[in-house]
Amino acid sequence: MKSVRISLVLALILALAFVSAPKADNHQSQSLTIVWAEWDPANYLQELSKDFTAETGIAVDVIQIPWPNFQDKVFTAFVGKSDLYDIVIGDSQWLGRNSQGKNYINLTDWINENIDVASIYGPAMTAFAEYPKGSGTYWALPAEVDAAGYVYRKDLFEDPNEMKAFQAKYGYALAPPKTYDQLRDIAEFFTRPDQDLYGIATWYSKEYDGITMGFQQVMWSFGGAYGDPENYKVDGYINTEDAAKALEFYTDLLKFSPPDAPNYYWAETLNAYNSGKVAMAMNYFAFFPAVINPEVNKISHDKSGFFIAPAGPKGHYISIGGQGMSISSYSKNKDLAKQYMKWFMQKPVQEKWAMLGGFTPHKEVLQSDTFKTATPFNEAFAASFPYLRDFWAVPEYAELLETCQTNWSQAISGIKSAKEALNAIARKHEEIFEDAGYYDE
Amino acid sequence: MRDRKRFGHYLILAFVAVAVIIYITPIYWILATSLKGFADITTKLPKFVFKVSLENYQKLMPSEGVPDVTHIFLVEVLVGLLLFGFFTLFKGKLPRAVSLRNLGLIWNGIFVLTCLYSFLTLSPLQTRLQTDARFNFPLLIICTVIAYLLMAPFKKTNGITSQTVKKQRLVFVLPSVFGTIAICVALANGGSKYFYQLLNSIIIGGGSTILAVGLGTLAAYAFSRFDIAGKDDLLFFILSTRMLPPVVVVIPIYLMYSALGLRDTHFGLILLYTTFNVSFAVWLMKGFIDEIPKEYEDAALVDGYSRFQTFLKVILPQSVTGIAATAVFCLITAWNEFAFALVLTEVGGRAVTAPPSITSATGSSGMDWGKIAAGTFVFLLPVAVFTFLMRSHLLRGVTFGAVKK
Amino acid sequence: MASLLAAFINNMQTTPPFPRVKTQTSRGMSDYQLKMAFIMPTMILLILMNIFPLLWSLYLSFHRYKASMPTPPKFIGVRNYSRLLADPEIWGYFQTTAYFVLLAVAAQFFIGFGLALLLNRDFRYKGFVTTMLLLPMMLSPVVVGLFWRFILSSDNAGLLNYFLSPFLKSPIGWTTNPKVAMLAVVIVDTWMWSPFMMLIALAGLSAVPKSLYEAADVDRASAWFKFRWITLPLVSPLLLIALLFRTMDAFKMFDIVYVLTREGGPGTATETVSMNLYKLAFRNYNTGKACAMAYILLIIIVALSNIYVKYLNRVKGEA
Repeated sequence: MKSVRISLVLALILALAFVSAPKADNHQSQSLTIVWAEWDPANYLQELSKDFTAETGIAVDVIQIPWPNFQDKVFTAFVGKSDLYDIVIGDSQWLGRNSQGKNYINLTDWINENIDVASIYGPAMTAFAEYPKGSGTYWALPAEVDAAGYVYRKDLFEDPNEMKAFQAKYGYALAPPKTYDQLRDIAEFFTRPDQDLYGIATWYSKEYDGITMGFQQVMWSFGGAYGDPENYKVDGYINTEDAAKALEFYTDLLKFSPPDAPNYYWAETLNAYNSGKVAMAMNYFAFFPAVINPEVNKISHDKSGFFIAPAGPKGHYISIGGQGMSISSYSKNKDLAKQYMKWFMQKPVQEKWAMLGGFTPHKEVLQSDTFKTATPFNEAFAASFPYLRDFWAVPEYAELLETCQTNWSQAISGIKSAKEALNAIARKHEEIFEDAGYYDE
Repeated sequence: MRDRKRFGHYLILAFVAVAVIIYITPIYWILATSLKGFADITTKLPKFVFKVSLENYQKLMPSEGVPDVTHIFLVEVLVGLLLFGFFTLFKGKLPRAVSLRNLGLIWNGIFVLTCLYSFLTLSPLQTRLQTDARFNFPLLIICTVIAYLLMAPFKKTNGITSQTVKKQRLVFVLPSVFGTIAICVALANGGSKYFYQLLNSIIIGGGSTILAVGLGTLAAYAFSRFDIAGKDDLLFFILSTRMLPPVVVVIPIYLMYSALGLRDTHFGLILLYTTFNVSFAVWLMKGFIDEIPKEYEDAALVDGYSRFQTFLKVILPQSVTGIAATAVFCLITAWNEFAFALVLTEVGGRAVTAPPSITSATGSSGMDWGKIAAGTFVFLLPVAVFTFLMRSHLLRGVTFGAVKK
Repeated sequence: MASLLAAFINNMQTTPPFPRVKTQTSRGMSDYQLKMAFIMPTMILLILMNIFPLLWSLYLSFHRYKASMPTPPKFIGVRNYSRLLADPEIWGYFQTTAYFVLLAVAAQFFIGFGLALLLNRDFRYKGFVTTMLLLPMMLSPVVVGLFWRFILSSDNAGLLNYFLSPFLKSPIGWTTNPKVAMLAVVIVDTWMWSPFMMLIALAGLSAVPKSLYEAADVDRASAWFKFRWITLPLVSPLLLIALLFRTMDAFKMFDIVYVLTREGGPGTATETVSMNLYKLAFRNYNTGKACAMAYILLIIIVALSNIYVKYLNRVKGEA
């Protein structure tokens, strides 16, 4: 009796297993997995890719990794030789590491044969695709061009009472700042903790590249530099008086920021601005769709203006953002990936990409008037181009970045003085370069 | 004197009440935040009175709508839990016709029918989540049938003694658990990433628990009943593997798994969590088996059973409670594990579990604390339930069986 | 009734083993075979998944090796170790960790023991109340830790600062001020783990025979005397076990600092050894160096647990 029951059940299980088995296979249609960071442009890319699926029948899935983990997760996948991701849309700094580490495939020949390089905005090609710089070797195609910029509360800046009071206090008219000194004045002016209003929100976070991307543009504009790209000397470039002054200036801005500002990364900065806490906020332009989205920003979505990062006493430099599209060398769909990238670079697709809200690398589209007026921030974005600069893109960049993040985070929280922090970075960076054999010859 | 003593007693109880409030507040705050709308979360001061909104929970659901079958399962789980509560409250006071057995049978039949129905309606997956991210209903039904069979012995007896009544209530509890899993399957198949990850946590946690408890029980029996050379050292070695910091072990494991292609696979994580739980299971189970009088076995041996049969027929039935407690602890450990899952799974991958996903989901336009709170709360709920069910074994569980009650 | 059966080490001698029986080959497996079949799977699993990886990482710790680069490991002797030990920053992380362990374990000990003393009496719903208090301990530190970031925030709706606001001029920067950031981590860890101390202490307290107190009452002993000479000596072995567990666990602290203070911020104020080790291994991919550091951490934990076990034995000998 008992054995009958058991055998019945076994038969049932077997039958079910057979019924279920063929189902696993009918999804074998071709598909492509793209990995990018978690932000609106990735949503736009998913939207754009629907056209590709309609044309070719190849399904495209854009996986979004949250920014704080973006680098770590992609690299653990690479070092673990995971074939999950076919196309990687990675930061410009990754080029050196992923080309030397053989994680990206070399696209030079393919690009020269299939893509009209002249149609792509030149600096973007250099920043997001070429490594070593100037060698003509390509590892990627630019996907998203980006720059750091500012959003401000138009309603506050254009309030007659505020303008009068500002004029009286500082002796010049209240307007989007052109220099860091003006930025500081305005930030100070709007800092009113009793009204829960602060002057500025900018990046100070220790996560991924937070404080580095926020601070480096200030450092460059004040006259500091990461080092000499020719001989990789760091001592005497990053730990100068100018750089120290810049770091002190950046630390000083905390006084005009909300209390939690030392933790601010892109998300927190957006939250602070969208909840009406700050008068100005620094962020990458590609995050600004959230600022003009009435769903997310209920307070100032229609009262926001945008300006480019101000100039410093010794120059005008802005942190570059944006990513290039590369093919993972562990991918099993390299040809599909190439097909996708070729499709992506066509002008009509790029036009649609720009219309959806992507920052196209296509020269003509980028410089067209339709692009500049597509969103309220595109004009300020386009104006930022001449001033863009990047972090190191060498294979050791992650260690260099980690050192900067730690020491600058220590400096703004008062654990180290500006000078100590910069000296520590200089020492550590030279140690990293030495270990990697840059000084050998 | 007496009054003073009584006053002191109440004073202490007041202190206890304050302590409970302090300890529960963060959990309450997770629940409250998850039920708030966006505007109520970003206020300057915390808001205690707010309009309850389910929008955060909706964000966890598939974007293309919740499959119908989910609701059916949900109703079943709720009815099951209600019946469970009903029989707990009114045990022994009900007419014979409304016995556990009859109701349980009817309700179980309905459950299996629902599974079949969902298999027929949902098995051609309506949306694809990711290339490898699919689950089959047949798997679930197989599990259900097995569970149903496991319950057969309980269903045969009539609820007379309180002990059997307690066991019989499993008739409702087990399908409720499977119903909950079925809801996760339906939602994951519908395209919800969150429930896909939750399901991964269930599969990996469940798989590693079964393996760890199985292996642990065998080893524990051997350690408890046989003479083993260097027994103390071996036991200590087993314990010490559990003491290693995860960050230390994860480096070589990462390299090893990368070389073997085990990263981001269910099998790889199950194997790893089994390793970490097996030492715990050995220790805990040894404690439980030590408590079973040796005379029972001697009697069975005299009756002509082999040692292995004795193990099956005497030891295992006697240690059901211990096995259940050990299993729950292993399950919770695997469920909560973070460091290994962080390094050994991919975002959007096949085997990514809930903890690394919940902690990194910020939202694409700023921190979405409401969504984080909703995800956290759903994740914490089963652990809270198990904590209450297991409360008499907690002490033993957290001290590797070193302290018994 | 809580019987403190064997603090840990003597757990094994509870039942005498069977005499060796060798005459059962006719009925299935012999005892020896059975024993092996029962133990071996566990041992093989542990060796494969624990011992072998540890040996491999020991090997790598003597090499220069970056897992992210295609170059094979290169033997460099003890250079990884000497460089780590000579690095003041590394010692800083050890100090941070030690500071955390000290603060957290002390806080958990006193709060947990205090709670246990409060709960050590009969009242209605005692089981329910105790379980409510124990709940935090069972939850996932990383998931709850993330939400604590929200509770501890000094910007929007920070719950703790709100409750403290009557006593403060300005909100405390729990996760932004390097001077209090460690306190924030300790608060979260204590919230999670003081119930653990409480649970064990409660077991110890309920095991103290009531007759001892009654005898002391006859002698009109003071409350302090009863506590010092009756309660404490009888409970201390169990408390030591709890301390051992917590110290070793606190030493591994990774989850909470990873999410709560964003990888050990602000600056390096809460960067524990485990946190730094994670960065060394999975951000910089200094695999060789990371393995060396893992071994240093391992040795410290092993040494620590040995000291405890010895102390435990001494206490038990006296009792």
